[in-house]
Amino acid sequence: MDTGPKENLDWENLQGKFLEKVTNHQHPHPDSSNKAHRGLDYQAALEEASKSMIRFKKPEHLIKRIALIIAKEVRVTHTAVLLYKEKKNSYVLIDSKGQEGKKIPVGYIRLPADNSLINVFTERALIPLLGESGALICNVIEKLMADRKFLVENPNLVDKLSGIKAQMELLQADICVPSYFKKKLLGILILGNKLSGKGFTREEIGFFLTLANDAAMAISNAQLIENLQCKVKEIETLYEKSHRLFIHTSIALAAAIDARDPYTHGHTERVTAYCLAIAEEMEDSPEVARFLNFKESLHISALLHDIGKIGIPDSILNKKSKLTPEEFEKIKEHPVIGATILYPIKELGSILTGVRFHQEKHDGTGYPDGLKGKEIPLLGRIIAVADAFDAITTNRPYRTKKSIEEAVFEIKRCSGTQFDPEIVAAFLKAYEKRKFFNLI
Amino acid sequence: MVKILIVDDELDVCRFAKSFFEARGLAVLTASSGQEGLRIFAEHRPDIVLIDVKMEGMDGVALLKEIKKIDKNAEAIMVSAIEDMDVIEEAKRHGAKGYITKPLVLEELEKTVIEKAKWIQAQKKT
Repeated sequence: MDTGPKENLDWENLQGKFLEKVTNHQHPHPDSSNKAHRGLDYQAALEEASKSMIRFKKPEHLIKRIALIIAKEVRVTHTAVLLYKEKKNSYVLIDSKGQEGKKIPVGYIRLPADNSLINVFTERALIPLLGESGALICNVIEKLMADRKFLVENPNLVDKLSGIKAQMELLQADICVPSYFKKKLLGILILGNKLSGKGFTREEIGFFLTLANDAAMAISNAQLIENLQCKVKEIETLYEKSHRLFIHTSIALAAAIDARDPYTHGHTERVTAYCLAIAEEMEDSPEVARFLNFKESLHISALLHDIGKIGIPDSILNKKSKLTPEEFEKIKEHPVIGATILYPIKELGSILTGVRFHQEKHDGTGYPDGLKGKEIPLLGRIIAVADAFDAITTNRPYRTKKSIEEAVFEIKRCSGTQFDPEIVAAFLKAYEKRKFFNLI
Repeated sequence: MVKILIVDDELDVCRFAKSFFEARGLAVLTASSGQEGLRIFAEHRPDIVLIDVKMEGMDGVALLKEIKKIDKNAEAIMVSAIEDMDVIEEAKRHGAKGYITKPLVLEELEKTVIEKAKWIQAQKKT
């Protein structure tokens, strides 16, 4: 079992304190007059133990420690701890100690949930078989089996008694202590005979029950945490799934735009890649730092920036010659059409700004709103540079493409007029790193 | 007295099973590996062999095959953590008379072995 050093330290502290408390009064006061005093001390040790229990991540460690404390304190032939495992619908042995031959190997045995030794703790009708302590004690069972009056009054318990006795014999158990949490039996602690040959005292049984219930608390806490972690993971998966759905939907929409315009085939994909390359060079920008989910928003915005072209007639979009001023006015509507199409998707939020404002110019001569400088939203300014670079480096119906170097020169030339100089600087850094090389 | 050989590479299992079956009137031999199990089987010819399937070196099924070469009527019961149908089938094909999966139910182990022991005891008398 792997534990962090801190947890181990906690354990050692706990064990030290616990054993100290428990053993301090044992040796100097062997006479029975000190029993009450010793009982009180158990209490103090237990309180301290349960306070620390919350810190332990692995309840199995706690249980093992408890078994060790009992074995050291009470001196029995052997101890065994069985915990409920849902997968096997059984109580599986997770810890054992004791004499050679009596100690049951860990993981070797299990008690099915319908075993009579389990039933005695889980069936209301069998409660009379437990002593008033709530633990299952061998000599109590033996006494009941010899009690003619009890047997006559409870004929239905005769078989149960011999079943329980047989199970206790199999495990060589002298006492079985239940560990409940919210009325559910989480596990049982089995103890063999005391080495002294004497029976267990009332204090000792009380001590076992308290320990068992503290252990139950720790187990339940751990299970609760585990369930919670499962839920968190589920939600994360769900989020990731819907996020992927979102991205893929955007990609599908982008493909729909590209499909209509054979001349700009692959345009959206390239513009998106340029945008992301520029974004990487802008990580130190305070504007970017303020922008929530910057990269993700830019990614989706770039994918959708030309979606408004859906509303432009094919005759204009596919025209091989130069556009008339009227036709160009029509083309200029695409950012607003795009933003209008996407407007009902409230979740897009700022992503819409990239769609609406990617044709704005730094000097205020762009469209649709003629915004200037930093008035133009960040996503729009970035997409504008990426969009222009792709337009220059690909063939259009009315002009042939230019080289990358020429395009870069053009972008640089328009820094401060058409483009935000800060974005151009990031673009140039990205270009220097040859980030666009494999795309063109 | 019916003789049983326990073969398991876990020492605790050998010790526990030894005391468990001795308390039920059987003579118990133990071996902590397949090789040792084979040697003891050849020498002492136990009536029943309880074999753990998963062991370093010669595993349980390999031991079963070797034992069957010595005595094709040997009574072998396999114990394994693997709830693997293939292993169970292979062991059965090689003549295993019983198969118990770990973590086991103690009374099932007792029943499987003791019933066999009683039957062998009865055979010995006749």
